[in-house]
Amino acid sequence: MNAINRLLLALGLAVTALPASADSVRPVTDPLTLQACGECHMAFQPAFLPARSWTRMMDGLADHFGDNAAMAADKAAHVRKVLVDGAADTGGGKVGAKVMRRLGPDATPLRITETPGFLRKHRLPASEWARPEVVTKSNCPACHVRAEKGDYED
Amino acid sequence: MTPRSTPARWEFLALRLWHAALAGGFVVAYVTADEDTYNMHVFSGYWVVTALALRLAMALAGSDRGPLGLPRPSLAAIRDKLAGKPGRNPLFVWMAALLLPALALGGLSGIVADLLPIAEDLHEGLAEAGLWLALAHAAIIAWIFQGRRIREVLAGRLARASLLALLAVLGAARVQAGEVFSAERGEALYRSVNAASPDFPSCATCHTADPTRPGRHAKTGRAILPMAVSANPKRFTDAAKVEERFERDCKTVLGRACTAQEKGDYITFLRGK
Repeated sequence: MNAINRLLLALGLAVTALPASADSVRPVTDPLTLQACGECHMAFQPAFLPARSWTRMMDGLADHFGDNAAMAADKAAHVRKVLVDGAADTGGGKVGAKVMRRLGPDATPLRITETPGFLRKHRLPASEWARPEVVTKSNCPACHVRAEKGDYED
Repeated sequence: MTPRSTPARWEFLALRLWHAALAGGFVVAYVTADEDTYNMHVFSGYWVVTALALRLAMALAGSDRGPLGLPRPSLAAIRDKLAGKPGRNPLFVWMAALLLPALALGGLSGIVADLLPIAEDLHEGLAEAGLWLALAHAAIIAWIFQGRRIREVLAGRLARASLLALLAVLGAARVQAGEVFSAERGEALYRSVNAASPDFPSCATCHTADPTRPGRHAKTGRAILPMAVSANPKRFTDAAKVEERFERDCKTVLGRACTAQEKGDYITFLRGK
Protein backbone atom coordinates (compact mmCIF):
# COMPACT_ATOMS: atom_id res chain seq x y z
CA MET A 1 0.00 0.00 0.00
CA ASN A 2 1.49 3.32 -0.98
CA ALA A 3 1.53 6.46 1.14
CA ILE A 4 -1.44 8.16 -0.57
CA ASN A 5 -3.67 5.11 -0.22
CA ARG A 6 -2.74 4.85 3.41
CA LEU A 7 -3.55 8.53 3.93
CA LEU A 8 -6.95 8.10 2.24
CA LEU A 9 -7.75 5.09 4.41
CA ALA A 10 -6.81 6.97 7.56
CA LEU A 11 -8.97 9.91 6.46
CA GLY A 12 -11.90 7.61 5.74
CA LEU A 13 -11.63 5.94 9.13
CA ALA A 14 -11.40 9.31 10.84
CA VAL A 15 -14.58 10.51 9.11
CA THR A 16 -16.55 7.41 10.12
CA ALA A 17 -15.40 7.93 13.71
CA LEU A 18 -16.63 11.52 13.82
CA PRO A 19 -20.29 11.01 14.79
CA ALA A 20 -19.25 8.86 17.75
CA SER A 21 -16.86 11.44 19.13
CA ALA A 22 -19.51 14.16 18.76
CA ASP A 23 -21.84 12.26 21.12
CA SER A 24 -19.35 11.46 23.82
CA VAL A 25 -18.45 13.32 26.97
CA ARG A 26 -15.69 12.83 29.54
CA PRO A 27 -17.06 10.29 32.06
CA VAL A 28 -16.90 10.57 35.84
CA THR A 29 -13.98 8.45 37.04
CA ASP A 30 -13.55 9.61 40.64
CA PRO A 31 -14.69 6.63 42.76
CA LEU A 32 -16.11 8.70 45.65
CA THR A 33 -18.15 10.85 43.26
CA LEU A 34 -19.38 7.81 41.36
CA GLN A 35 -20.48 6.25 44.63
CA ALA A 36 -22.02 9.39 46.17
CA CYS A 37 -24.10 10.38 43.12
CA GLY A 38 -24.60 6.83 41.85
CA GLU A 39 -26.24 5.78 45.08
CA CYS A 40 -29.58 7.16 43.85
CA HIS A 41 -29.12 8.02 40.17
CA MET A 42 -26.60 7.85 37.39
CA ALA A 43 -23.53 9.99 38.16
CA PHE A 44 -24.16 12.65 35.50
CA GLN A 45 -21.09 14.04 33.77
CA PRO A 46 -20.22 17.47 35.20
CA ALA A 47 -19.76 18.86 31.65
CA PHE A 48 -23.55 19.11 31.28
CA LEU A 49 -23.87 22.04 33.70
CA PRO A 50 -21.78 25.16 34.40
CA ALA A 51 -19.73 25.38 37.60
CA ARG A 52 -22.20 27.86 39.13
CA SER A 53 -24.97 25.26 38.80
CA TRP A 54 -22.92 22.58 40.58
CA THR A 55 -22.07 25.03 43.35
CA ARG A 56 -25.76 25.81 43.82
CA MET A 57 -26.57 22.08 43.72
CA MET A 58 -24.01 21.20 46.39
CA ASP A 59 -25.21 24.07 48.57
CA GLY A 60 -28.70 22.58 48.70
CA LEU A 61 -28.21 18.84 49.20
CA ALA A 62 -30.71 18.66 52.05
CA ASP A 63 -33.42 19.45 49.48
CA HIS A 64 -32.11 17.74 46.35
CA PHE A 65 -35.10 17.91 43.98
CA GLY A 66 -37.32 17.19 46.97
CA ASP A 67 -35.10 14.43 48.38
CA ASN A 68 -32.64 14.60 51.22
CA ALA A 69 -29.17 13.95 49.76
CA ALA A 70 -27.17 15.22 52.74
CA MET A 71 -23.72 13.69 53.11
CA ALA A 72 -20.68 14.06 55.36
CA ALA A 73 -19.01 17.48 54.94
CA ASP A 74 -15.63 16.16 53.72
CA LYS A 75 -17.35 13.90 51.21
CA ALA A 76 -19.51 16.78 49.93
CA ALA A 77 -16.44 19.02 49.57
CA HIS A 78 -14.64 16.36 47.53
CA VAL A 79 -17.63 15.79 45.23
CA ARG A 80 -18.11 19.53 44.84
CA LYS A 81 -14.52 19.93 43.66
CA VAL A 82 -14.83 17.10 41.11
CA LEU A 83 -18.05 18.61 39.72
CA VAL A 84 -16.80 22.20 39.60
CA ASP A 85 -13.46 21.17 38.02
CA GLY A 86 -15.20 19.21 35.28
CA ALA A 87 -18.07 21.63 34.67
CA ALA A 88 -19.19 22.88 31.25
CA ASP A 89 -17.24 26.15 31.58
CA THR A 90 -14.14 24.71 33.31
CA GLY A 91 -13.16 21.17 32.24
CA GLY A 92 -16.12 20.24 30.07
CA GLY A 93 -14.35 20.05 26.72
CA LYS A 94 -16.35 20.23 23.48
CA VAL A 95 -19.66 19.20 25.00
CA GLY A 96 -19.21 21.75 27.77
CA ALA A 97 -18.57 24.51 25.24
CA LYS A 98 -21.79 23.60 23.42
CA VAL A 99 -23.76 23.64 26.67
CA MET A 100 -22.37 27.10 27.52
CA ARG A 101 -23.04 28.53 24.05
CA ARG A 102 -26.78 27.84 24.32
CA LEU A 103 -27.11 28.84 27.95
CA GLY A 104 -28.02 32.40 29.01
CA PRO A 105 -25.16 34.25 30.72
CA ASP A 106 -27.00 34.34 34.06
CA ALA A 107 -28.86 31.04 33.83
CA THR A 108 -28.04 28.65 36.66
CA PRO A 109 -30.07 25.54 35.83
CA LEU A 110 -30.17 22.64 38.28
CA ARG A 111 -31.77 20.13 35.97
CA ILE A 112 -29.70 18.97 33.00
CA THR A 113 -33.00 18.06 31.34
CA GLU A 114 -33.98 21.75 31.30
CA THR A 115 -30.84 23.06 29.60
CA PRO A 116 -31.31 24.23 25.98
CA GLY A 117 -28.61 21.78 24.92
CA PHE A 118 -30.58 18.84 26.30
CA LEU A 119 -33.96 20.00 24.99
CA ARG A 120 -32.57 20.55 21.50
CA LYS A 121 -31.43 16.92 21.30
CA HIS A 122 -34.48 15.36 22.94
CA ARG A 123 -37.49 16.38 20.86
CA LEU A 124 -39.08 12.97 21.18
CA PRO A 125 -42.70 11.80 21.06
CA ALA A 126 -44.37 11.45 24.46
CA SER A 127 -44.64 7.70 23.89
CA GLU A 128 -40.84 7.42 24.15
CA TRP A 129 -40.81 9.12 27.55
CA ALA A 130 -43.70 6.94 28.68
CA ARG A 131 -41.79 3.68 28.26
CA PRO A 132 -41.90 1.89 31.62
CA GLU A 133 -38.11 1.57 32.01
CA VAL A 134 -37.61 5.33 31.52
CA VAL A 135 -39.43 6.42 34.73
CA THR A 136 -37.97 9.93 34.45
CA LYS A 137 -36.21 12.10 31.84
CA SER A 138 -33.03 12.02 33.92
CA ASN A 139 -32.71 8.25 33.55
CA CYS A 140 -30.14 8.47 30.74
CA PRO A 141 -29.09 4.79 30.70
CA ALA A 142 -32.68 3.71 29.98
CA CYS A 143 -32.03 4.72 26.34
CA HIS A 144 -28.29 5.50 26.16
CA VAL A 145 -27.05 2.21 27.56
CA ARG A 146 -23.41 3.37 27.78
CA ALA A 147 -24.30 6.81 29.18
CA GLU A 148 -22.31 6.26 32.36
CA LYS A 149 -19.19 5.74 30.27
CA GLY A 150 -19.86 9.09 28.60
CA ASP A 151 -21.17 7.57 25.37
CA TYR A 152 -24.52 9.10 24.34
CA GLU A 153 -24.68 7.53 20.90
CA ASP A 154 -28.39 6.84 20.23
CA MET B 1 1.48 -25.20 17.75
CA THR B 2 0.83 -22.04 19.72
CA PRO B 3 3.12 -22.14 22.75
CA ARG B 4 1.32 -19.29 24.55
CA SER B 5 -2.22 -20.43 23.93
CA THR B 6 -4.70 -19.94 26.76
CA PRO B 7 -5.67 -23.08 28.69
CA ALA B 8 -8.49 -25.07 27.12
CA ARG B 9 -11.54 -26.37 28.97
CA TRP B 10 -10.43 -29.96 28.47
CA GLU B 11 -7.31 -29.27 30.51
CA PHE B 12 -9.29 -28.32 33.61
CA LEU B 13 -11.56 -31.34 33.08
CA ALA B 14 -8.55 -33.63 32.62
CA LEU B 15 -6.96 -32.28 35.78
CA ARG B 16 -10.13 -32.95 37.79
CA LEU B 17 -10.51 -36.48 36.41
CA TRP B 18 -6.86 -37.16 37.16
CA HIS B 19 -7.26 -35.99 40.76
CA ALA B 20 -10.30 -38.26 41.14
CA ALA B 21 -8.39 -41.24 39.74
CA LEU B 22 -5.36 -40.61 41.95
CA ALA B 23 -7.35 -39.95 45.12
CA GLY B 24 -9.58 -42.97 44.50
CA GLY B 25 -6.56 -45.26 43.96
CA PHE B 26 -4.84 -43.87 47.02
CA VAL B 27 -7.86 -44.34 49.29
CA VAL B 28 -8.39 -47.93 48.10
CA ALA B 29 -4.69 -48.69 48.62
CA TYR B 30 -4.84 -47.14 52.09
CA VAL B 31 -7.81 -49.15 53.35
CA THR B 32 -6.71 -52.46 51.76
CA ALA B 33 -3.25 -52.49 53.33
CA ASP B 34 -4.11 -55.58 55.44
CA GLU B 35 -2.89 -59.02 54.37
CA ASP B 36 -6.39 -60.37 53.58
CA THR B 37 -6.98 -57.79 50.84
CA TYR B 38 -3.45 -57.88 49.53
CA ASN B 39 -4.34 -58.36 45.84
CA MET B 40 -6.52 -55.27 45.78
CA HIS B 41 -3.83 -53.34 47.62
CA VAL B 42 -1.23 -54.23 45.02
CA PHE B 43 -3.61 -53.38 42.17
CA SER B 44 -4.53 -49.97 43.58
CA GLY B 45 -0.86 -49.29 44.34
CA TYR B 46 0.04 -49.84 40.69
CA TRP B 47 -2.97 -47.67 39.79
CA VAL B 48 -1.50 -44.82 41.85
CA VAL B 49 1.96 -45.19 40.30
CA THR B 50 0.41 -45.26 36.80
CA ALA B 51 -1.61 -42.13 37.58
CA LEU B 52 1.54 -40.33 38.74
CA ALA B 53 3.34 -41.25 35.51
CA LEU B 54 0.29 -40.12 33.53
CA ARG B 55 0.48 -36.74 35.25
CA LEU B 56 3.94 -36.14 33.81
CA ALA B 57 2.63 -37.01 30.34
CA MET B 58 -0.29 -34.61 30.81
CA ALA B 59 2.14 -31.82 31.69
CA LEU B 60 3.72 -32.26 28.26
CA ALA B 61 0.33 -32.32 26.48
CA GLY B 62 -1.11 -29.24 28.19
CA SER B 63 -0.79 -25.67 27.00
CA ASP B 64 2.11 -23.56 28.16
CA ARG B 65 1.30 -21.91 31.50
CA GLY B 66 -1.99 -23.84 31.61
CA PRO B 67 -3.30 -25.82 34.59
CA LEU B 68 -1.46 -28.98 33.52
CA GLY B 69 1.96 -27.36 33.20
CA LEU B 70 4.67 -28.26 35.72
CA PRO B 71 7.28 -25.51 35.48
CA ARG B 72 10.20 -25.33 37.88
CA PRO B 73 8.96 -23.87 41.18
CA SER B 74 10.52 -20.54 42.08
CA LEU B 75 10.54 -18.26 45.09
CA ALA B 76 10.50 -15.22 42.81
CA ALA B 77 7.05 -16.25 41.55
CA ILE B 78 5.73 -16.27 45.14
CA ARG B 79 7.14 -12.80 45.69
CA ASP B 80 5.47 -11.60 42.47
CA LYS B 81 2.17 -13.14 43.54
CA LEU B 82 2.35 -11.47 46.95
CA ALA B 83 3.03 -8.19 45.14
CA GLY B 84 -0.30 -8.63 43.39
CA LYS B 85 0.79 -10.05 40.04
CA PRO B 86 -2.14 -11.86 38.39
CA GLY B 87 -1.96 -15.40 37.06
CA ARG B 88 -1.72 -18.95 38.31
CA ASN B 89 -0.92 -19.20 41.99
CA PRO B 90 2.75 -20.35 42.31
CA LEU B 91 1.73 -22.46 45.31
CA PHE B 92 0.21 -24.97 42.86
CA VAL B 93 3.61 -25.70 41.35
CA TRP B 94 5.25 -25.96 44.76
CA MET B 95 2.63 -28.40 45.96
CA ALA B 96 3.03 -30.49 42.81
CA ALA B 97 6.81 -30.51 43.26
CA LEU B 98 6.36 -31.82 46.79
CA LEU B 99 3.41 -34.16 46.36
CA LEU B 100 4.27 -35.94 43.11
CA PRO B 101 7.71 -37.20 44.30
CA ALA B 102 6.35 -37.99 47.78
CA LEU B 103 3.48 -40.09 46.44
CA ALA B 104 5.78 -41.66 43.84
CA LEU B 105 8.18 -42.70 46.63
CA GLY B 106 5.24 -44.23 48.49
CA GLY B 107 4.15 -46.18 45.42
CA LEU B 108 7.59 -47.30 44.31
CA SER B 109 8.53 -48.37 47.84
CA GLY B 110 5.38 -50.53 47.71
CA ILE B 111 6.68 -52.31 44.63
CA VAL B 112 9.97 -52.87 46.44
CA ALA B 113 8.17 -54.13 49.54
CA ASP B 114 6.22 -56.61 47.40
CA LEU B 115 9.58 -58.23 46.52
CA LEU B 116 11.52 -57.54 49.75
CA PRO B 117 9.34 -57.75 52.88
CA ILE B 118 12.04 -55.88 54.81
CA ALA B 119 10.96 -52.63 53.06
CA GLU B 120 7.40 -52.90 54.39
CA ASP B 121 7.91 -50.50 57.29
CA LEU B 122 9.53 -47.93 55.00
CA HIS B 123 6.57 -48.22 52.57
CA GLU B 124 4.06 -47.79 55.37
CA GLY B 125 5.82 -44.68 56.66
CA LEU B 126 6.06 -43.09 53.21
CA ALA B 127 2.41 -43.83 52.44
CA GLU B 128 1.35 -42.34 55.76
CA ALA B 129 3.37 -39.20 55.03
CA GLY B 130 1.76 -39.05 51.57
CA LEU B 131 -1.70 -39.09 53.12
CA TRP B 132 -0.94 -36.15 55.38
CA LEU B 133 0.64 -34.22 52.55
CA ALA B 134 -2.47 -34.82 50.40
CA LEU B 135 -4.76 -33.64 53.21
CA ALA B 136 -2.65 -30.51 53.68
CA HIS B 137 -2.80 -29.98 49.90
CA ALA B 138 -6.62 -30.19 49.99
CA ALA B 139 -6.76 -27.72 52.88
CA ILE B 140 -4.55 -25.21 51.05
CA ILE B 141 -6.63 -25.51 47.87
CA ALA B 142 -9.83 -25.00 49.86
CA TRP B 143 -8.32 -21.89 51.43
CA ILE B 144 -7.18 -20.46 48.08
CA PHE B 145 -10.56 -20.91 46.43
CA GLN B 146 -13.04 -20.57 49.29
CA GLY B 147 -11.04 -18.63 51.85
CA ARG B 148 -11.70 -15.30 50.22
CA ARG B 149 -15.44 -15.70 50.42
CA ILE B 150 -15.25 -16.98 53.99
CA ARG B 151 -13.08 -14.03 54.97
CA GLU B 152 -15.53 -11.60 53.36
CA VAL B 153 -18.54 -13.13 55.13
CA LEU B 154 -16.72 -13.10 58.47
CA ALA B 155 -15.64 -9.47 57.99
CA GLY B 156 -19.23 -8.53 57.09
CA ARG B 157 -20.60 -10.24 60.21
CA LEU B 158 -18.04 -8.50 62.37
CA ALA B 159 -18.85 -5.09 60.87
CA ARG B 160 -22.61 -5.56 61.39
CA ALA B 161 -22.14 -6.84 64.94
CA SER B 162 -19.99 -3.84 65.89
CA LEU B 163 -22.54 -1.50 64.29
CA LEU B 164 -25.32 -3.05 66.38
CA ALA B 165 -23.16 -2.88 69.50
CA LEU B 166 -22.59 0.82 68.88
CA LEU B 167 -26.33 1.42 68.38
CA ALA B 168 -27.06 -0.54 71.57
CA VAL B 169 -24.74 1.76 73.51
CA LEU B 170 -26.32 4.87 71.94
CA GLY B 171 -29.82 3.59 72.67
CA ALA B 172 -28.97 2.22 76.12
CA ALA B 173 -31.40 4.50 77.93
CA ARG B 174 -34.34 3.02 76.03
CA VAL B 175 -33.24 -0.58 76.07
CA GLN B 176 -35.48 -2.88 78.11
CA ALA B 177 -34.00 -5.59 80.26
CA GLY B 178 -33.43 -8.80 78.33
CA GLU B 179 -34.11 -8.01 74.72
CA VAL B 180 -31.98 -5.32 73.08
CA PHE B 181 -33.15 -5.12 69.47
CA SER B 182 -36.23 -6.72 68.00
CA ALA B 183 -36.61 -8.05 64.46
CA GLU B 184 -40.41 -7.74 64.82
CA ARG B 185 -40.20 -4.02 65.60
CA GLY B 186 -37.72 -3.64 62.72
CA GLU B 187 -40.12 -5.34 60.34
CA ALA B 188 -43.00 -3.16 61.51
CA LEU B 189 -40.86 -0.09 60.81
CA TYR B 190 -39.86 -1.43 57.38
CA ARG B 191 -43.50 -2.02 56.39
CA SER B 192 -45.00 1.06 58.09
CA VAL B 193 -46.88 3.44 55.81
CA ASN B 194 -46.22 7.09 56.67
CA ALA B 195 -47.62 10.47 55.71
CA ALA B 196 -44.41 12.53 55.60
CA SER B 197 -43.82 12.06 51.87
CA PRO B 198 -46.37 11.17 49.21
CA ASP B 199 -43.60 9.84 46.95
CA PHE B 200 -41.94 7.66 49.60
CA PRO B 201 -44.58 6.51 52.11
CA SER B 202 -42.68 3.37 53.18
CA CYS B 203 -39.26 1.66 53.09
CA ALA B 204 -40.98 -0.94 50.94
CA THR B 205 -41.82 1.73 48.33
CA CYS B 206 -38.30 1.45 46.91
CA HIS B 207 -37.03 -1.72 48.59
CA THR B 208 -40.20 -3.74 47.74
CA ALA B 209 -42.36 -5.76 50.13
CA ASP B 210 -39.82 -8.60 49.96
CA PRO B 211 -36.43 -7.29 51.16
CA THR B 212 -34.61 -10.26 49.66
CA ARG B 213 -35.47 -8.88 46.21
CA PRO B 214 -33.72 -5.97 44.47
CA GLY B 215 -35.49 -2.62 44.70
CA ARG B 216 -35.83 0.44 42.50
CA HIS B 217 -35.60 4.13 43.39
CA ALA B 218 -39.17 5.39 43.06
CA LYS B 219 -38.12 8.66 41.44
CA THR B 220 -34.92 8.04 39.47
CA GLY B 221 -35.52 4.42 38.48
CA ARG B 222 -32.05 3.45 39.72
CA ALA B 223 -31.74 -0.22 40.70
CA ILE B 224 -31.10 -0.89 44.42
CA LEU B 225 -29.44 -4.06 45.72
CA PRO B 226 -31.53 -6.17 48.13
CA MET B 227 -31.78 -5.00 51.74
CA ALA B 228 -31.74 -8.50 53.24
CA VAL B 229 -28.27 -9.62 54.29
CA SER B 230 -28.99 -13.14 53.01
CA ALA B 231 -29.37 -11.74 49.49
CA ASN B 232 -26.71 -9.02 49.75
CA PRO B 233 -23.86 -9.90 52.18
CA LYS B 234 -22.35 -6.39 51.93
CA ARG B 235 -25.46 -4.80 53.48
CA PHE B 236 -24.79 -2.93 56.77
CA THR B 237 -21.02 -3.48 56.63
CA ASP B 238 -20.00 0.12 55.83
CA ALA B 239 -20.83 2.21 58.91
CA ALA B 240 -20.49 5.57 57.13
CA LYS B 241 -22.84 4.51 54.35
CA VAL B 242 -25.36 3.06 56.80
CA GLU B 243 -25.38 6.31 58.79
CA GLU B 244 -25.82 8.39 55.62
CA ARG B 245 -28.75 6.26 54.43
CA PHE B 246 -30.51 6.41 57.81
CA GLU B 247 -29.90 10.16 57.96
CA ARG B 248 -31.51 10.70 54.54
CA ASP B 249 -34.19 8.04 54.38
CA CYS B 250 -35.58 8.42 57.89
CA LYS B 251 -36.13 12.13 57.24
CA THR B 252 -37.66 11.41 53.84
CA VAL B 253 -39.94 8.54 54.81
CA LEU B 254 -40.74 9.29 58.46
CA GLY B 255 -40.23 13.05 58.39
CA ARG B 256 -37.80 12.79 61.33
CA ALA B 257 -34.49 11.20 62.34
CA CYS B 258 -34.50 7.57 63.53
CA THR B 259 -33.50 6.66 67.06
CA ALA B 260 -30.64 4.27 67.78
CA GLN B 261 -33.29 1.79 68.93
CA GLU B 262 -35.09 1.96 65.58
CA LYS B 263 -31.87 1.63 63.60
CA GLY B 264 -30.86 -1.41 65.66
CA ASP B 265 -34.29 -3.00 65.22
CA TYR B 266 -34.18 -2.34 61.46
CA ILE B 267 -30.74 -3.91 61.01
CA THR B 268 -31.70 -6.83 63.24
CA PHE B 269 -34.76 -7.53 61.07
CA LEU B 270 -32.81 -7.43 57.79
CA ARG B 271 -29.83 -9.34 59.18
CA GLY B 272 -32.12 -12.26 59.98
CA LYS B 273 -34.01 -12.02 56.72
